[in-house]
Amino acid sequence: MKRAGIATRLAALILASTAVILSLVVGYSFMVSREGMLDLARQNGALVAEATVHRIDAQLRATAKVTDTVAATLQDAPMDEDFLRDLARRTLFTNPGIYGTGIAFEPQAFERGRHFFAPYAYRKDFAITSTTLGSADYNYFAMDWYQLAREMRRPVWTEPYYDEGGGNALMVAYSAPFSRRTAHGLQRAGVVTANIDLVWMQRMISEVRVARTGYVFVLSRYGTYVAHPNPDMIMNETIFTRAENLGIASLRDLGREMVAGMGGFMEFSDLPGIGAAYVSYMPLPDQGWSVGVVLPRDEVLAGANRATRIMTGIGVGGFFLLAVVILLVSGTITRPLRLLTRAAAGVARGDLDHRLPAIPTGDEVGDLAASFGRMQASLKEHIATLTATTAAKERIQSELRIAHDIQMSILPKTFPPFPERTELDVHATILPAREVGGDLYDFFFVTPHQFCFLAGDVSGKGVPAAFFMAVTKTLIKVVAERELTPGDILAKVNDDLAADNESCMFVTLFLAVLDTRTGELRYANAGHNPPLVLRRHGGPEWTQGMEEPMAGAMPGMEYSTGTLTLHPGDAVFVFTDGVTEAMDTTGALYSEERLFDTLATCHGAAAAEMTRTVSDAVSAWAEGAEQSDDITMLAVRYLGPDGTKQEG
Amino acid sequence: MPRLAAAFLLVLVLATTCQAAPARLVLHWLPQAQFAGYLVAEEKGFYAKRGVDLTIVPGGPDVNSTHHLAEGKAEFATMFLSTAIARSPETDLVHIGQVVHQSALMLVTRKASDIRTLQDLNGRRVGMWGKDFQIQPKALFQRLGIRVQVVEQAPSMDLFMRSGLDAVSAMWYNEYHTLMSYGLDPDDMVTFFFRDLDLNFPEDGLYCLRATWQRDPATARAVVEGSMEGWAYAFAHPEEALDMVIRRMKEYRVKANRAHQRWMLARMRDIILAGEPRPDPELTRSDYERTAAVLVEQGFAATAPGYADFVMDARPDAAKTDPLPGTGGHP
Amino acid sequence: MEIATRIAGSAAILSVNGRMDAVTAPEFEKACLALLEQGHATQVADLAALEYISSAGLRSILSSAKKLKAAGGGLAFCGLTGMVDEVFRVSGFMKMFRVHPTVDAALEG
Repeated sequence: MKRAGIATRLAALILASTAVILSLVVGYSFMVSREGMLDLARQNGALVAEATVHRIDAQLRATAKVTDTVAATLQDAPMDEDFLRDLARRTLFTNPGIYGTGIAFEPQAFERGRHFFAPYAYRKDFAITSTTLGSADYNYFAMDWYQLAREMRRPVWTEPYYDEGGGNALMVAYSAPFSRRTAHGLQRAGVVTANIDLVWMQRMISEVRVARTGYVFVLSRYGTYVAHPNPDMIMNETIFTRAENLGIASLRDLGREMVAGMGGFMEFSDLPGIGAAYVSYMPLPDQGWSVGVVLPRDEVLAGANRATRIMTGIGVGGFFLLAVVILLVSGTITRPLRLLTRAAAGVARGDLDHRLPAIPTGDEVGDLAASFGRMQASLKEHIATLTATTAAKERIQSELRIAHDIQMSILPKTFPPFPERTELDVHATILPAREVGGDLYDFFFVTPHQFCFLAGDVSGKGVPAAFFMAVTKTLIKVVAERELTPGDILAKVNDDLAADNESCMFVTLFLAVLDTRTGELRYANAGHNPPLVLRRHGGPEWTQGMEEPMAGAMPGMEYSTGTLTLHPGDAVFVFTDGVTEAMDTTGALYSEERLFDTLATCHGAAAAEMTRTVSDAVSAWAEGAEQSDDITMLAVRYLGPDGTKQEG
Repeated sequence: MPRLAAAFLLVLVLATTCQAAPARLVLHWLPQAQFAGYLVAEEKGFYAKRGVDLTIVPGGPDVNSTHHLAEGKAEFATMFLSTAIARSPETDLVHIGQVVHQSALMLVTRKASDIRTLQDLNGRRVGMWGKDFQIQPKALFQRLGIRVQVVEQAPSMDLFMRSGLDAVSAMWYNEYHTLMSYGLDPDDMVTFFFRDLDLNFPEDGLYCLRATWQRDPATARAVVEGSMEGWAYAFAHPEEALDMVIRRMKEYRVKANRAHQRWMLARMRDIILAGEPRPDPELTRSDYERTAAVLVEQGFAATAPGYADFVMDARPDAAKTDPLPGTGGHP
Repeated sequence: MEIATRIAGSAAILSVNGRMDAVTAPEFEKACLALLEQGHATQVADLAALEYISSAGLRSILSSAKKLKAAGGGLAFCGLTGMVDEVFRVSGFMKMFRVHPTVDAALEG
């Protein structure tokens, strides 16, 4: 499967990393701001609760104080009905918050014979009126406002109640027992009570702003709702029955906490009408009541949620923007690369003129494209040169091959060359070092009985040497046909060669003429290594060296002619320095001595055998080392005027 | 002229015989689930279909159901058996149907007060209501030979909650749940049920003046049967019954707490059925005579009328296994 | 191969040190021609320190000698030893050129 491109990989990696980083940042920041919000909410709720508690407490405390003062006054007050009524009235007058106040006596405590006596002043139609409580139908001794204070022997706040007489307003009573000084000391005499309505409290609480959907509620001593945004709850349900109705066990726990007079903070997952919410609660210790502040969680966390939503929005937006940017930017890198790749493929296929895309971006990719172009141009040039050179070389090679073939064809190659001439046994071999070499040999009959044979070595190698060799051979043939002595032949040849010899090439030559009737051998030597004579009766002998200059160097040289006599069975072995200077792998030369020894073993051998023996010996000596010079040898055996061959 | 008069007279006669008999049933306290059966029967028309045009008159602190009967403000009334026995000499009441067969009265203490047995109540402050509700406790303490400080208790449980009382009287279907609604778990309370202490007085029942019964026993029986059907329906459809009850309570501006009413209805079912599959209006002789004996012994009633004089057999002499009409027909 | 040149009167002397083969031979020719351009057509090659000479060396010697001769001068040799001496003998250069035993002898001759 093809790997996803650079652009895709880059985009995927960067985007994945960015997504992770973003999530971490947003998540952390959400958590932190959430915690901060919750803390603020806690504090806020506590503050609201505290403020509410203080305001309620302040008002109720005032009432309690007044009532306690009256109770204290009654200790020594005169038992006068008018006085008591007046006291009650005045209490109302000076305390607009109190709805009604009464002084209820224990049985017989006011005066003998009177079971009930409770003068009571209250507000009615904007005036203060007075009445007396206590009858068979109204046994106040069994009522909470009296009984609680009396039995507990201390001032108490009753539970809130609805007072039909007071226009069905929600009321609460504060009752304080009072005693009177008698002859027997302080005796319990009755209960002073003051009732106040709680309408002001309900109104105050309904006006408290808690977020948008939050609210404040107040529980009485046993968890009864005395203030709540839902009027059906007031005096109708306790927090425990509400928990029972809603099936929220944790609400019961909250109730227990609040009823126990604790302060704190509790979380709820689902309250009716408000959903998830936090409740901050604080007690009103004197009355045993408790204030709860309900904060909707969504509003509490609204700030954090909103911030998080916005952050997430920005993050997601930025994410997509980043994705687009990455794709665009990586596109600017990969598109030129793709173009270059296609172009390179075109060039690789052999289309050297394939047009490369123009990438003027001026950055690394542009540089790459420019280098690519330069490479393409240089490649073209190089290949053109190479092609031309190769073509030229091939031309030269083929011409050299042709030259070699031509050159070889001008040397006599057919053996035996004169089958009908029984006086001679001739054999020659030439192994050129390079394809065209400078060694030469030749043999021909000058006259029917004057057999000329020669060998030579042109200085240098290659085509120039070959040309010179061809010219020399031809020249010698022409000159030798004038029946001159070998020395004169060489002198003439030298003059002709030296005449127009700009390149200063020269050639070593050994030339001999044998009289086949007599065996007389006349010879001349122009700087060539002296051949060997192999006597039938004896062994090899060196011919004398002449120390005369090579041909073609300088015109006007004189060459001397030497003579010796060959007996039937004697042979002359002519060779070039390629034989004696053949090197083995260590660079040691085959040398004249070894040639001498090798030829010594060819006693009485045929010419062909002689050349073959020496060839094999030289090859064996070379051991595969490269042949540095032409190896040429010519063996001529004199068989006598009659020869060992039959005539005819 | 005579023809017109005769026609008018005929219509009048027809009207009086064919139209439903109007009647009023006064309850012995404010509307609440304690009276669910009657309220359901009235709304569902169980009285109307028996030919009784019944109106329910709610009771309350200003209403004495006996006095209403005596003053002709109602034809039928509910009240406790003990109350009826005590009032019967002066009012000539007769019993026409028993609703509650099991006493719901109980004593409650808080675990924190260390009272575990009835003997532990000796010398302690025990709250009690009015005379009607003091019979069973006083009989109990007398039997056990213990003396308690009797404190008249207010309708609220405040003094008990503030530990001003060691034990308090409560009705199982009402004040006991109030204590729970004040945050007391059942684990926090120790309870003594009078039904388990051989003082199992039948309570709510249906009564009328003897004259009312004698004049029109059919209507009385219809009222009893309709009431029984109403109770059976309320037990079978509690939430619907609660809806009706709470609506009525709101009409009369009585505090209506659904959880409290639900508990009340469930307990009424326990004490009305008392293990039987359907409401049974019969008051057995043994139950009557047992109760009457204690009342007289405690001095609550001077005398008690004889069973046959007092208890009207609401059903004609028929096999007691016959199903009541309208109650499902299951034995 | 190193070539040291000095002028002695009318002749220039080239002292050749090392090996004269196909690679180094052109240097000898170049040195001779340089001296020729300076006006010294008569030159003496002192080959006392020359260890080896190949046919390419012989060619460059021949080429230089021809040029000097065409310019009216000539090339003489001295100090031949060992292989170089033998090569001169065998190749006939000994007969082609004036060869002296010492530089002084060459200058006189």
